[in-house]
Amino acid sequence: MDSSESGEDINGRVERDGDPGGSSGQKETSTADMLRIKQQMSNQCFEMEVHLNAVKVSVSGKHRRSCSTSEAERDYSDHISELERVKTLQFNQTLALHRMQMWHAMEEKIKINDPESDALKVVNERCMALCCQIKQIQQETRLLQDEITELQKKRLEMKRLTHDKMKEMEDLMSSKEHPDTEKCKAALEKGQKNLEKYKKMSIMAQNVLRGILLACKINWLDDPKLRDVAMTLEEFPITD
Amino acid sequence: MSRLNPFAKLPGLNAASVLLVENEEHFQQSLAEALVKETSVTVNVRLAKSFPLPVENDESRPRIDLVVFIINLTSELSFQSAEASLKYLEPGYFLGKVCFMVSNARSSSVPAERLDAVRRLAASLHCPLLFAEDQTQQGVTNAAERLLTILKVAAGFVPFTTSLCLSNLTRSTLPPDIDQPSFD
Repeated sequence: MDSSESGEDINGRVERDGDPGGSSGQKETSTADMLRIKQQMSNQCFEMEVHLNAVKVSVSGKHRRSCSTSEAERDYSDHISELERVKTLQFNQTLALHRMQMWHAMEEKIKINDPESDALKVVNERCMALCCQIKQIQQETRLLQDEITELQKKRLEMKRLTHDKMKEMEDLMSSKEHPDTEKCKAALEKGQKNLEKYKKMSIMAQNVLRGILLACKINWLDDPKLRDVAMTLEEFPITD
Repeated sequence: MSRLNPFAKLPGLNAASVLLVENEEHFQQSLAEALVKETSVTVNVRLAKSFPLPVENDESRPRIDLVVFIINLTSELSFQSAEASLKYLEPGYFLGKVCFMVSNARSSSVPAERLDAVRRLAASLHCPLLFAEDQTQQGVTNAAERLLTILKVAAGFVPFTTSLCLSNLTRSTLPPDIDQPSFD
C-alpha cells in the first residue's frame, strides 16, 4: 500500500470474479455468455481495424494535404451525414425485411388448414374487399377531381375574357370622347374668333358714332330714340 | 516519455478496465467501490494520482478501455494536474476512450472561470463531460452508473456501437454564451 507522488496504486486493483450463478470455483460459461464474449471481441477487433486503416491512410495519403482543423471539421460533418444516411438506409431495409418475413409467415399459416388460418382467411377476404372499394372510390375521386380542374380552367378562361372585354370597352370610351371634343374645340375657336371680330367692329362703330355726336353737339337727350342709342354707347369701353 | 497506448495489449475476455485519475485520491475510492458492484461484466478499476504512470506496473496492467479524469472544482491544482497528464496519453485514446468527471460544481466557492476552462478543455478534445456529486452515496451510485454506460461501450459490450460512435453523440459542446459574464 505504498503511495508515491505520481504513482499508481496497486491497491486499487479491485476485481470481482463475474460468476453468474455458478458454484464457487467453477467457471461455467453458458452459450449466451460465449456469444456475448464473441460479440465483444468482434467489437474490439473492429475498433482496432478502424484504427489501423486510419493510420494507414494517414501515412500513405495525407502527405500533400495539410491537416488543418477547418478541413477536418468539414470532413467530419460530411462523414456524420454519410453515417446518418447509411443508418437510415439500413433501418428502412430492416423494416422491409421484417415486412417480408411477416408476409411469408402469414402465407405459411394460411396454407395449413387451421381454425386460426380460417379466421386469418376471413380477415384477408375482408381486407381484399375493402381494398377493392378503396380502389373504386379512388378512381371516382380522380374523375371528380378532373372535372373540377376542367371547371376551374373554364372559369379562369371566362375571367380572362371578361377582363379583356372590359379593357376594350374602356379604351373605346376614352377614345370616343376625344374626336368629339376636338371637333367642338375647333368650332369653339372659330366662333370665338368671329365674336372677337364683330365685337371690335361694333366698338369701332360706336366710337365713331360717339365722336360724331360730340363733335356735332347733337342734343340727344330730347329725342328718345337717340337717347337709347347714346345710352348703349356707355357700356363699352372707349378703347379696347 | 512513454505514453499509454490504447491498442498495445489484447483486450480481456468479458472484462472492462477503467483508469480513474484524480489528484486528491478522494472520490476515486468510493467510485471504484460502486463500479465493481456491476455483475454482468468483470470491471477492473485502476486508480492513479496523475500521469506518468510508474513503469514497473506496465507489464501487469491490463489494456485500459476508458480513462476518467476526475477534477475537483474547488482546487485549481486538480485541474492543472489533469491538464498536465493529458500529454501522456496516445491520441488514440481521445476518440471516445477518455472522459472527464467533475465534482463539486455546485459549490459556491468555485470561480466560474474554472468550470469554463474545464468545459473548453472537454469541448476541444471532443470528450464527454460528466458532473458528479461525491458527498452522498446516491450521487456516487449515479456517477458509477453513467460511467458504466460509457465503459461498456468502450469495452465493446454494446453491439454495433463503438466508443467513437458514442463520442459523436456525447461529445461536450461549449454553450454559446460561455464568454459572457455569469449572473453573480
